[in-house]
Amino acid sequence: MREIELSLNQTQKIRLKRALEKLESFSSKANSNSNASVSISDSIPVNLEDGVLKGHGTLDLNGELVATLCGVVERVNKLVYVRALRARYKPEVGDIVVGRVSEVAQKRWRLDIHYSQDAVLMLSSMNLPDGIQAYQVRESLYPLGCSLVGGGLCRPNHPGRIPTKNSLDYLIHDSGGWGHVSKVYSLGIGPKGLALVRFHVIKSRRRTALDELNMRSIFEENDVICAEVRGIQHDGLHLQARSQKYGKLERGQLLTVPPYLVRRRKQHFHHLEQYGVDLILGCNGFIWVGEHVEAKDDMVEDQVSKPEQQKFNKNSISLEDQEQTYTPIETRQNICRIANAVRVLSILGFNITIEVIMDTMNLSSSLNLDIHEMLGSEFCVLVAEGEAERRSLTKRKG
Amino acid sequence: MGSLKRKSTGDTAAEPLPPPKQKQRESGSPLPSANNDEEPVACLHDVSYPEGYVPPPPPPPSSSASAAAKEFPFTLDPFQSESINCLENGESVMVSAHTSAGKTVVALYAIAMSLRNKQRVIYTSPIKALSNQKYREFKQEFSDVGLMTGDVTIEPNASCLVMTTEIWRSMQYKGSEITREVAWIIFDEVHYMRDRERGVVWEESIVMAPRKSRFVFLSATVPNAKEFADWVAKVHQQPCHIVYTDYRPTPLQHYIFPSGGDGLYLVVDEKGKFREDSFQKGLNSLVPASEGDKKKENGKWQKGLAMGRVGEESDIFKMVKMIIQRQYDPVILFSFSKRECEFLAMQMAKLDLNGDDEKVNIETIFWSAMDILSDDDKKLPQVSNILPLLKRGIGVHHSGLLPILKEVIEILFQEGLIKCLFATETFSIGLNMPAKTVVFTNVRKFDGDKFRWLSSGEYIQMSGRAGRRGIDTRGICILMLDDKLEPSTAKMMLKGSADCLNRIELVVLVMLVEANKYRSFEDGSEDGWNGDQPFHLAFLRLYGIAVDKEVSVEASLSSAFHLSYNMLLNQMRCEDGDPENLLRNSFYQFQADRAIPSLEKEAKDLEEERDSIVIEEEDSLKNYYDLLQQYKSLKKDVHDILFSPRYCLPFLQASRLVCIQCYKSEEASPSFSIKDEVTWGVILNFERVKTVSEDDANRKPEDADYTVDVLTRCVVSKDGIGKKTIKIVPFKEPGEPVVVSVPLSQIISLSSLKLFTIPKDLLPLEARENTLKKVSEVLSRFAEKGVPLLDPEEDMKIQSSSYKKAARRIEALESLFDKHEVAKSPLIEQKLKVLHTKYELTAKIKSIKKSIRSSTVLAFKDELKARKRVLRRLGYATSDDVVELKGRVASEISSADELTLTELMFNGVLKDVTVEEMVSLLSCFVWQEKLQNATKPREELELLFAQLQDTARKVAKVQLECKVQIDVESFVSSFRPDIMEAVYAWAKGSKFYEIMEITQVFEGSLIRAIRRLEEILQQLIQAAKSIGETELESKFEEAVSKIKRDIVFAASLYL
Repeated sequence: MREIELSLNQTQKIRLKRALEKLESFSSKANSNSNASVSISDSIPVNLEDGVLKGHGTLDLNGELVATLCGVVERVNKLVYVRALRARYKPEVGDIVVGRVSEVAQKRWRLDIHYSQDAVLMLSSMNLPDGIQAYQVRESLYPLGCSLVGGGLCRPNHPGRIPTKNSLDYLIHDSGGWGHVSKVYSLGIGPKGLALVRFHVIKSRRRTALDELNMRSIFEENDVICAEVRGIQHDGLHLQARSQKYGKLERGQLLTVPPYLVRRRKQHFHHLEQYGVDLILGCNGFIWVGEHVEAKDDMVEDQVSKPEQQKFNKNSISLEDQEQTYTPIETRQNICRIANAVRVLSILGFNITIEVIMDTMNLSSSLNLDIHEMLGSEFCVLVAEGEAERRSLTKRKG
Repeated sequence: MGSLKRKSTGDTAAEPLPPPKQKQRESGSPLPSANNDEEPVACLHDVSYPEGYVPPPPPPPSSSASAAAKEFPFTLDPFQSESINCLENGESVMVSAHTSAGKTVVALYAIAMSLRNKQRVIYTSPIKALSNQKYREFKQEFSDVGLMTGDVTIEPNASCLVMTTEIWRSMQYKGSEITREVAWIIFDEVHYMRDRERGVVWEESIVMAPRKSRFVFLSATVPNAKEFADWVAKVHQQPCHIVYTDYRPTPLQHYIFPSGGDGLYLVVDEKGKFREDSFQKGLNSLVPASEGDKKKENGKWQKGLAMGRVGEESDIFKMVKMIIQRQYDPVILFSFSKRECEFLAMQMAKLDLNGDDEKVNIETIFWSAMDILSDDDKKLPQVSNILPLLKRGIGVHHSGLLPILKEVIEILFQEGLIKCLFATETFSIGLNMPAKTVVFTNVRKFDGDKFRWLSSGEYIQMSGRAGRRGIDTRGICILMLDDKLEPSTAKMMLKGSADCLNRIELVVLVMLVEANKYRSFEDGSEDGWNGDQPFHLAFLRLYGIAVDKEVSVEASLSSAFHLSYNMLLNQMRCEDGDPENLLRNSFYQFQADRAIPSLEKEAKDLEEERDSIVIEEEDSLKNYYDLLQQYKSLKKDVHDILFSPRYCLPFLQASRLVCIQCYKSEEASPSFSIKDEVTWGVILNFERVKTVSEDDANRKPEDADYTVDVLTRCVVSKDGIGKKTIKIVPFKEPGEPVVVSVPLSQIISLSSLKLFTIPKDLLPLEARENTLKKVSEVLSRFAEKGVPLLDPEEDMKIQSSSYKKAARRIEALESLFDKHEVAKSPLIEQKLKVLHTKYELTAKIKSIKKSIRSSTVLAFKDELKARKRVLRRLGYATSDDVVELKGRVASEISSADELTLTELMFNGVLKDVTVEEMVSLLSCFVWQEKLQNATKPREELELLFAQLQDTARKVAKVQLECKVQIDVESFVSSFRPDIMEAVYAWAKGSKFYEIMEITQVFEGSLIRAIRRLEEILQQLIQAAKSIGETELESKFEEAVSKIKRDIVFAASLYL
């Protein structure tokens, strides 16, 4: 058992030791093949006559199968391999991971996901932030004669020209984001001398050079992103974002725990409704706790955004932005509490699952502890004892 | 869901579509008004909206509509422009039309539009060869086109990608970036969805398709296109249009050619008129086969047609000769097996249809195509044998040919250098390769295990090859009828007899429909056809044939959904994936849910019927009814006790008088009086009924085990067939004295009386009559007091407490009956009957409601559970659906049995053997044909195969234990070792002609198998990679490099 770095007083030390010993005894009882744990150069008992498939972490040495890793021997049919304890994260197809953008490169972002190499998220593997519908009919008002490029509203491929009926090459950026105009229906003078343009915007389309130029508007360096492991291609580990729920994570905390503490489960996304918090347990040991974001439903979005007056006032935009980005204090507290629960579990070296996190969280609030007190040694010991108690109960039941 | 149908013709097509909102309101008569009289080029247009869908506001009128994405050099047919309108509006469309009608135009437009909008477009087709052809077609039209099939990948980054549906499915599972950029997906030949094996791929692909994508479905004519569109609309929450037409650009004439007859009989002319007289004449001229032939042909009768009689020219030869004489060429002759195809072609030896310059042309084209083959391969017998045939203008086209030969023949046919092509069904799908004439050499095809009639859908598909647009004014379809469609049968069909409808089949029926298609629009009211029903049904009714509503001429689209482990694992592997979700959205489920409204309606009707039954004094009557029921069940209990063999056997002595139930016909409504109609008889004997489980000693003695022979009065009547029915009747009625054996349950009671003497020989009628006389004497003597019965307790010594209880309660009930006031009402009997029907209705409603409930439950739910159990048991997934190591391997394997192959891999079988042996072993996974006299593979291979069988058996047994329905032995024998030796040799580096000498199989089949083998190896490479098994990975790669060479992987001529 790893030394736990905590400043404990004597009684706490003894209590913790007792709790951990108890836990250990359960696990050794539970594991019938507890003798399957090996360290380097231990020989692995196999019946060579039956034929054995030597997997990872094994070596045939003088007719004997020996381990080359510290870990647990796993057997699948005739395959024998050693699952290393406390290894670095090793991605598998379909894993949900959380990563941090380390570089914006050609048509791709590089992400640090705690793997031996950076992961790659291709621009084309990412839904454009507004890639919701194939078509959207939008109506917008544009100031006649305004500099379309400078305004950030309409960026035609030929700058300086107002969209005309047949200009199919315009990329229009309005409140919804970037889209490609397929049809311009009407062109007229609206209120305040603005040009009224109604157009089709095509959202799912081939990525263009312009998209590439705008990559930073999607993710920048140091943004935290959640994605799915797609597989190892010739140029490295590839990630992908299948749906709208993947993507940039904002307004929350990123925690780093040893990856072996996060087991693969069916669900890695958790929405804790009572706290208004999203919890993402990345398989790579990156854990995201943040304010809940409603995943945009593909279907609900109305087809036409109402004709809207574009806002030119910088201040008003920023005010609205502020309102949007404001997170209520309770939610912030909840985020911190959950984050600290994860930290405690990580310190103790417990597997991190949603159930255990919630237990810890509830324990802390039932004790009326402040958030910062959760990281104190007393709470750690309590959690360990609580876990020992819980397992002995389930043990008895089982 | 809104619905509208309207007929549009050439003149209306130019107008833009009315906005959807208006459409919904307008939904009027299902059939068009007859104002467009002369142009039959009609199409039906209909829209399915998802529930709660709000149509977007109509785009402003076309003042600023952008230019069409593609202009066509010809005027579009209404159905084409109608479909294109939908595309321009950005909505999905399902186009259902005949093969020759020109659906490709819609696909082309969709591609052009996507390219204009800088979007990706996917085109999927069911067959690799078709994908190749389409790739070529599109590549010439647009340059930005790529191709992905299992065999080749060209420009995978192009905007327009042509692929097989399987590839598209696996792309979606793996989450290719293409799925994020695709705007339009074109599914060609979507009616493949009903394919038993592969159909599920279409459903998976459609359900999993990106939410924002739009679809173009191209399909043969299917009657339930609307249902399909409704499904798409529901699953993808978007409107889906249906454009349906059964228009043929070139009208068809349908002929029959009776075998042994002397010519063609026009059955349906190009105007669609059915010529009954000529049809009859044709049927009459069928020459029935001689008796001897029939016996010999048992099972192989179809040969008769082709062989002809000794010394005569065969029918097929006569036919071809006639076609050439009448200049009906080029002609495609369809037959339904590869061997037959070749056999028929061989009979054309005497014909030469080509001039000298054409021969030179053919030779040039042929050899320049063969140029990509190595010299050895050019010497293959199939290659060298076919050239002389081709030079004479005769071709063969079936899946047993080398792919390259098939393609050369297609090209030669398109160039008009082949006048007479013998083909199998596969030629009827895909690229536009029409002929003037199509001949069906047979009306039955072998369908896996038995011969069956050609289905109408197949007939329509194949006849679609007749008539070249712009060249022929009419196409010709000839159906060769053999003697098995006996004239009498055919006549019966016309004259009307219901039961023959099962046997005669729809081919002829299709002709009738073809015949009346146009009429159905024009003068529908004639012949009692009122437009509400498909014409063929009306036609049959006209001839007095009762038809089930379900009979449809066109095969409808139905789901062939089934689960596979690969599908489950792939769904489980991704976070959002949920196999149940897939099931819920499947077309199968959709079709099942459809049944619910009709069931609900039925239940409602029944409820109304029940509620309409009003009975006076219902409460007291109900009370009485309940008592009666109780009484009856008690009586039955007592009877069961009394007549359990344990108690009654000792008293079943001969000559005892017994009281038995009279005959009751089964339909008779249950009687409601306390007294049953009874009669008396005398016991002669009893015996035990022998059952199959005779030796089962523990079995409870049931009353059916014994029958008692009783002499009593009966009415014996004979029905028409000569079957005797015997009714037991009361004594006083007239009847014969007969000995009948009755089950114990029919005996009411045993009397304590016996007759003194019974004649030993009861055969003479007199003896029986006398005995019965004695019986009636006895009865009349006791008429007043009643016949003394055996007392259950005193005489029969029945001590059981349950008997006593029941007996006491019966007494109590009997007294209740007397007191009951309702009992005195005069109409009690009828009233009770009414009440009884009411109760029956209630029970019926209950059972319907139950079936409604069970169909709302997910179809396949049990199988899903069972299959998940299998995955857990074998360690592919954990109990909370997390995919494990083995599962990751199996999820990569989609072209072979994933479980068996994975087990084989983890048992180390693949690792221990050489590369060649491994390839040879894997060949068992891809070969499905059964060979009659295949040589056994050599010992090492045989041993490997035994290991494979072992593994397969284990896998099958686990599945069986987990309650997956599977036949272990047939599963094991689905792995065929027949080509192991050949594949082994191929991997060793043998030439193709060398391995052809080892096996008996068709060249084309072997090549297909090896190509599929390579596909599996590629999947295995992926699997090994995903679990980090570099050693195995390189072994698989080596295997690929060993088999991927020469003629087997020769590039398609279309690329």
